Amino acid sequence: MASKSKITKYTGKPAKVLQSEPAIVIEWPRSLAHRHTYGKLSPFFKGLTEGKLLATRCINPECVEHRLWLPPRADCPDCNQPMTWEELPQPVIGTVHTYARVEYAGAGIELTTPYFQVDVELPGVCTIFKGYLQYGTPEIGMKVKACFRTEDPTNTILDMYWIPLADDKAARF
Amino acid sequence: MIILKKGNLRIPKWNRKVFAVAGGLTNYKKFCPEMKLEEQVMVAFRQMLENNDLKISPAEIKGLVNFLACGNFSDHFQDQLLCEAKVTDYLGLDPMYDIGIKTGGATGGSTVLTAAMAIASGYADVALAVGWERMSEVDTRTGNYYIANAACKDFETRLSRIYAAYYAPMAVRFAWAYNLSEETRAKVAVKNHLYAYYSPYSQQPGKYTIQDVLNSPMSTYPLRFLECCAMTDGAACMLLCDEKTAYKLTDKPCELFIAGGSHTLRVADRRDMEIPLLPHETPDMYKGLRKKEGQRWPGFESFAAARFAAYFAYRMAGVTNPLEELDLVELHDAFTISDIQTYGDIGLRPYGQEPDYIESGDAYFGGKCPSNLSGGLIGTMHAVGATGIFQGIECLWQIQGKYNKFHGDPKIWESFGKKKPKDWKSLQVPNAKQAAWVSHAGVGSHVTVGILRKAF
Ligand SMILES: [Zn+2]
Repeated sequence: MASKSKITKYTGKPAKVLQSEPAIVIEWPRSLAHRHTYGKLSPFFKGLTEGKLLATRCINPECVEHRLWLPPRADCPDCNQPMTWEELPQPVIGTVHTYARVEYAGAGIELTTPYFQVDVELPGVCTIFKGYLQYGTPEIGMKVKACFRTEDPTNTILDMYWIPLADDKAARF
Repeated sequence: MIILKKGNLRIPKWNRKVFAVAGGLTNYKKFCPEMKLEEQVMVAFRQMLENNDLKISPAEIKGLVNFLACGNFSDHFQDQLLCEAKVTDYLGLDPMYDIGIKTGGATGGSTVLTAAMAIASGYADVALAVGWERMSEVDTRTGNYYIANAACKDFETRLSRIYAAYYAPMAVRFAWAYNLSEETRAKVAVKNHLYAYYSPYSQQPGKYTIQDVLNSPMSTYPLRFLECCAMTDGAACMLLCDEKTAYKLTDKPCELFIAGGSHTLRVADRRDMEIPLLPHETPDMYKGLRKKEGQRWPGFESFAAARFAAYFAYRMAGVTNPLEELDLVELHDAFTISDIQTYGDIGLRPYGQEPDYIESGDAYFGGKCPSNLSGGLIGTMHAVGATGIFQGIECLWQIQGKYNKFHGDPKIWESFGKKKPKDWKSLQVPNAKQAAWVSHAGVGSHVTVGILRKAF
């Protein structure tokens, strides 16, 4: 039964032609949202919004690694057993292991450039933790203090950052 | 810490010999609207079949292929899932099985490894390793955004959104630990841009000075733009065979060995560990290596994945001293620093003395073991899925004595709309017998080392 209401209609938006010679190039825009889970690391990201830095530790007595992991992992890669959470005592003071000054960043960057990315050694932690320096100029061996974005959190790793310890009077004794 | 046991350190072994006989490349450039992905792969495929002095016809060779390893790094760039099927169909190789390979920047190396395993196991007598990338289907900053997804998305990606920023901390740390100057880094860039000048395939050829490199705009401090590879559109393919078929197809086959290593995606997680020694190294060599506070191996200075790949590949091929026994190398110079770090990993210098490989002149054409005569990634290309295949092909052509044929023919330059420079010079290594290439991914998450040896 043929009827006009059954005609298939084009409902899209015509593609923009970016160039027509020598080959036709069209624009193909899109906007997508992924649902990303923090899974078993959720306590870590919740901790940041509360001003806490949480790491994990393997408590299996037979394991070869008993230092803290930061970034944390829910399970130990050495013995494959679940790890336990531990909060780092405040103030969290680390040492700059290395750094870089980001001047040109890709799309989606959420920090104003240029800024310093810092990789930080922490006592008792077997890994080196990447973050950014809110102000100042880093050098290898410099002491830095962890700060948290507890107000208006981003709910991402950007909820923590470092500041030079020398500038922080509260942390000086 | 990572403790390796006997089984982990078992040396890979082919069940039968594997040979490379032919290769094909494309013009490498940013933005290639005149050709679609599969059309560009066809350019490389035709060069491989038609211009490598093979003794039987392209149609007959196609009649021998029964396996394809297809490398492409990012579905984001191609914006086409299962493009392997499109390529296999387009090349007229249906219904041969093709497996898509993805290991980031090491995709090309992993693709050759996969095709080699097919030959070595007996699955195939003739296999095609083919790779491609179409990185400029998005603008450069969106491309950087995509590539930064190859950093840990929970703990690293938002801290940079550009891959140079994951290597730059290594450059800072390496300079501090092992006294690397900015000038030495710049020399790597000068050398590789210059070698690219002699290649018709190259994207970023140029005669630069050290000062030009140091004056070029900063990407992420301390890495300047002239120290970084660019986004590339392009493809490459290599033909692999068993021994009998190899001699039937060519008078100039090369025996192939290739192995890989992996390490954490986050550099942060690379705990100190014992250094696996290459055949020519002794434990004494590294007693004083960790002399500065907080130093660890591989840490931010070196790549355990590259060390493991070399550890396996050298023993597979019976290489006992790389600097003495390799006539040239092709290294993954995505950034000057990653190139320099690798000199220690693959034993061109002991760890801690990497800069000397450049400063001594060994790394240059005419030197003891020249590197990246192809122009490398900085000068010629980094169409990611094709890169590790391109590097292998450049090694193959050197050993076959075909550098001039494939780089000096004005017709090749013209076919890409380029003019062969008047001051073109040959970078053919005289009497090259053995070469190695390094295919590397994700701040050292995956690395393969391939070795080609003259078998004629
Ligand atoms: Zn454990």
